[in-house]
Amino acid sequence: MKINPKLSQQLSYCILFLVTICAITPVVFIFFLIIKNGVPNLTIKFLTSMTKDGGIFPAIIGTFTIVVCSIIIVFPVGVFAAIYLNEYAKRNLLTRLIKLAIVNLAGIPSVVYGLFGLSIFVMFCKLGVSIISGALTLSIMELPVIITTARNALNNVPYSFREASLALGMSRWQTVKYIVLPNAMPGILTGTILSIARISGETAPILFTAAAFYVPHLPHSIFDQVMTLPYHLYITSTQVPCVSKTILFGTALTLLIIVLTISLFAIIARLYFRRHRKW
Amino acid sequence: MVNKVTVKDLVCYYGNKCVLNLLNIQIMKNEILNIIGPANSGKTTFLRTLNRMNEYNLLYSYDGKIYLDGKNIFTMKVEQLRRRISMLFAMPTPFPMSIYDNIVYAPKHLKLIKSKAEQNIIVERVLKDVSLWDEVKDRLNWPAMKISGGQQQRLCIARVLAINPEVILFDEPCSGLDPISTAKVEQTMLRLKQKYTIVFVTNNVKQAFRIGDRTAFFFMGELIEINNTKQLFHSPNNKKTADYITGRFG
Ligand SMILES: Nc1ncnc2c1ncn2[C@@H]1O[C@H](COP(=O)(O)OP(=O)(O)OP(=O)(O)O)[C@@H](O)[C@H]1O
Ligand SMILES: [Mg+2]
Repeated sequence: MKINPKLSQQLSYCILFLVTICAITPVVFIFFLIIKNGVPNLTIKFLTSMTKDGGIFPAIIGTFTIVVCSIIIVFPVGVFAAIYLNEYAKRNLLTRLIKLAIVNLAGIPSVVYGLFGLSIFVMFCKLGVSIISGALTLSIMELPVIITTARNALNNVPYSFREASLALGMSRWQTVKYIVLPNAMPGILTGTILSIARISGETAPILFTAAAFYVPHLPHSIFDQVMTLPYHLYITSTQVPCVSKTILFGTALTLLIIVLTISLFAIIARLYFRRHRKW
Repeated sequence: MVNKVTVKDLVCYYGNKCVLNLLNIQIMKNEILNIIGPANSGKTTFLRTLNRMNEYNLLYSYDGKIYLDGKNIFTMKVEQLRRRISMLFAMPTPFPMSIYDNIVYAPKHLKLIKSKAEQNIIVERVLKDVSLWDEVKDRLNWPAMKISGGQQQRLCIARVLAINPEVILFDEPCSGLDPISTAKVEQTMLRLKQKYTIVFVTNNVKQAFRIGDRTAFFFMGELIEINNTKQLFHSPNNKKTADYITGRFG
């Protein structure tokens, strides 16, 4: 059977369009639902009062500190590891094994990281159930992802840039610092933004390492345990009877806003690097 | 004539494959030395050995000696060597920065220049050296990747001049350029001869004839013949050379 090429062109266009619509509809719907139900509850009092007064302030502080701490740990470590693997490591068996391990680590379920964090950071390192244990656990979980996206971004910088820089008498490190890294930065930061979102929403890795069901006061240091928004949401929606819907949606919306706020820094940094790159 | 670079019994391998075999060449100060030869004869490998650009290639190995002003290049600091023997590639490789930043990039980070005023002077001087100044002087903060290919290649030459090397290696710098840009690059090279020593790899026999003081003919990793350009082209000693320059193979 012969299909008219013009018709098939239009047909495939329609199918692609419909698939795209299908893909974004749930996202739009979720956003709409959370915003519609959450906004009425987003009062100053709800955001800034303690749990016993019906607020979520401790959980906001907890999530914020854990996420910021783990990004501060995972970003430099991941980027430097990627630089080492891509720019310096000799292509031998050990390097190949490390790269293989990193790819596979990214596929491990997050609850496994939670148990790992419990045994290593909480118990073996005696850090206890604390912000730092949770942040370290999340860092370990996110490290393979950051390394992989950073390596992709580094690989996208043309090899000829490196050679041109080396031929001018620049050292390898100078070439990485002034040519490779600034050009890879937008890609690295895009990966980081996605990681921030993932870290903020995870419950399993912090379940045993940082999160508390209820803490009457704010954390005094990074060695305190905290309440966090995803865990609080889980608890209030499943364990506490007759919690009003609006509180749940208010919490969810707050979590979204926090993710966006932290990501904003990365987005601004990405804009900065894009501006300075003149293709 | 002063000897600038001396190559003694150079042998280069990629893996087990010998791509340069017992090469002996002397490069004189302020000359343009052409290197011609068919594809895969080892011309690029030779250039990349002269400034040790092949060092990160694990397949690559070499034997023999190369001296720059009597000093062994393999014992020098590699950054120092590449500042003295710099290189230009076949394809223009501007960095994704402005024209101005492309030029000051290396001198600034190598701390060869201090003040902004000094930077401006150098940018103007090197752009004039490659006769690009009149074309770009009003848009020095343009992205270097937005100027034409020929202009990009001359910008890359200017960028090399800004670190003031002693020897410049050109690896088929005109292979992607139109005739007018090619002519400009050629004029630039002829002018640069007064200050620099130039090794010029080309696939274009006519171009070699126009440019070089001496010409070396490479074939399958061997130096078949090296002589004054005029002599080599008018009365080659070797049959292979004769065949190549009259276009019977290559
Ligand atoms: N990175 C590399 N790894 C392995 N072999 C290589 C590499 N680069 C070049 N070779 C081999 O070395 C030989 C010489 O190559 P080279 O690039 O020096 O030739 P050339 O004279 O510059 O050729 P062309 O005129 O095509 O540029 C070729 O047989 C090539 O296949
Ligand atoms: Mg070549």
